[in-house]
Amino acid sequence: MPRLLPFVVIPEHALTIPRLSRLVLPGLIAVFLLPVVAQAHAILVSSVPAAGGTTQAGAAVLEFHFNSRIDHDRSRLTLVWPDHRETVLKLDAGTDDEVLASHSELVPGAFTLRWQVLAVDGHITRGELAFSVAPAKGR
Amino acid sequence: MSLLIDLFGYLSIVLHGLTITAQSMMLGGVLFLVFLARPLGASVGMSGGPIQAGTARIAAWSAVALILCEGVSLAMQSAVLSDTIGLTVRQIAGASFFSAALVKIAAALAIASALFARGARTPPTTPGGALLGLALLELAAATLTTHAAARLEGREWLLAVEGLHQLGAAIWIGGIPSFLLALSLVKDGRSFSAIGTRFSRLSMIGVGCILVSGVTMSLMYIGSWQGFYGTAYGVMVGAKIVMFLSLLGLGLGNYRLIDRLGRNPATPVSRLKRFAEVEIGIGVAIFFAAASLTSVPPAVDLTQDRVTLSEIVERNTPVVPRLTSPEYGSLALMQLQSALDAEAAAHRAAPSVAFVPGAGVLAPRNAADIAWSEYNHHWAGLFILAIAVLALLNQAGLRIARHWPLVFMGLATFLFFRSDPEVWPLGSIGFWESFRDVEVLQHRVFVVLIVAFGWFEWRVRTGKLRSAAAAMVFPLLCAAGGVLLLTHSHAIANVKEQMLIELTHTPLALAGLGAGAARWLELRLDPPGNRIAGWIWPVCFLFVGLLLLSYREA
Repeated sequence: MPRLLPFVVIPEHALTIPRLSRLVLPGLIAVFLLPVVAQAHAILVSSVPAAGGTTQAGAAVLEFHFNSRIDHDRSRLTLVWPDHRETVLKLDAGTDDEVLASHSELVPGAFTLRWQVLAVDGHITRGELAFSVAPAKGR
Repeated sequence: MSLLIDLFGYLSIVLHGLTITAQSMMLGGVLFLVFLARPLGASVGMSGGPIQAGTARIAAWSAVALILCEGVSLAMQSAVLSDTIGLTVRQIAGASFFSAALVKIAAALAIASALFARGARTPPTTPGGALLGLALLELAAATLTTHAAARLEGREWLLAVEGLHQLGAAIWIGGIPSFLLALSLVKDGRSFSAIGTRFSRLSMIGVGCILVSGVTMSLMYIGSWQGFYGTAYGVMVGAKIVMFLSLLGLGLGNYRLIDRLGRNPATPVSRLKRFAEVEIGIGVAIFFAAASLTSVPPAVDLTQDRVTLSEIVERNTPVVPRLTSPEYGSLALMQLQSALDAEAAAHRAAPSVAFVPGAGVLAPRNAADIAWSEYNHHWAGLFILAIAVLALLNQAGLRIARHWPLVFMGLATFLFFRSDPEVWPLGSIGFWESFRDVEVLQHRVFVVLIVAFGWFEWRVRTGKLRSAAAAMVFPLLCAAGGVLLLTHSHAIANVKEQMLIELTHTPLALAGLGAGAARWLELRLDPPGNRIAGWIWPVCFLFVGLLLLSYREA
């Protein structure tokens, strides 16, 4: 699961314990602490494809379920292709309040899906998940 | 803009804490004015008018603060949406959070205008109904930016509960500044008793609102014991409960004193005022904890990676402190840089830099880094223990021990060298270059603050600074540090390791608050209360030192 700051994508390794503790230490001592610790509001509950999962090449549905109602008009899905090209996906209309969905024609390779959502209560959260696309069966 | 976004993430939480504080003081001031200051105006003699004017002033200035906080917050969120998604102002303005913020600002503006209409020194004549209507409007808009607004189930019910929670906090905690002001303006025991009795009743209503809504929200948002101790949300709620109970304890003390005051108007009220002062501080800490809570997902939504009781026990079982540092060259970043240098030499090329401050890619870590960090914590714990022991000896009458603040200088020096090994003076990254890393910048600020704090308190202890205000720096900074620690100490994605750290530093934050409150009471209370308080804050330091000494990362 991606770990997030409001407004900020935090790399996975940014939140390792040693890093956090190095933030905590001086503050504990001085009792003045301003660490940048991961925070988020809307979290990704499940997705298709799943984080780290594999799907087949060809027409694919991309669907993301959150724990909160999402403002669809002010949220975005960006697909990063194996050649690092980025495509802002057009969101499907008529999905449930907590779901962002889109579709795309995928080619084999490693993809990253970046999402940024505005929850209805006004919190902005961003994250990303990686997935792979395998050649379609029978090709 | 990309550099600023990092700061926005942090600032949004601080801003939210300030917003909740301002909102509660505004609503609390309005409620105090309508339900206490005006009804009692005639029965407290000449003080009636000034109490009304003063209460109105508190509410009005709080409204101004709310407008500013809300405005900055709105601008920040709009800037982020505009920059990251490319939305126009019109598109952003269509968002529900934008509408809610505008309503809050408009209501606060109307309240401030109404209360300032006749000048800051004259009691306002705006009808109570109008003020309450505006307060209700602001409260309703505020609930639309809480968790409840985005919940998938039971939204309406939860919105009502969230509103009740904020109302309770406004009645009780938000009313304390006005209560304190009223106490400072009346002189006779009967007036003290009248104001105290009525505020006690109001407070009981507020406590009732908080209890009912708090229990309901805990059931809805946490749901289980494991959600309580095993998630960031649960731990923060736990911290709020501890602070709430300490407020209740102080409130109970005040209630009993007011009861005595009713029977004997000659009862001294000094303790009433001092406790109320501390209650404001704890109240603000609760508001900042609440701000943190609004930016984390409820525990019920986090069903994976919860920390178990056995993991908590295992991690917090004390071990022998690590008092020997690993070799500098064994740190992951240094090893990576050596490898890059060797590779570059083999190809006769310029070596790559292993770490670029501010680039967003963080340094690699290995077992030596963990050992380095634990060593830092453990030695820091020794410094704090030394401070605590010297402070206790000083309390016991050992005069030479009054120089304990100087130990902070040693601590600052230690941290200056050890906090960020990759940057100057230990590392190869230059002094100015390192400031691109927000974390390094923060560490440097901390070092400066520690030096300033130690120097300041040392001058107070040795009699070189004699003003009462100077002595207040210590408790205020301690409490402020505890508040900030609470605000930032939670992990969000419920990763176990982050939670285990959370569980360590939440008690440290509470100890910081406790030390600040105790020192404040030592300075402000009459004997024998001040002497008791004087023993409490060094014990809080002792607790912090012991926790740091047993700190573990693996």
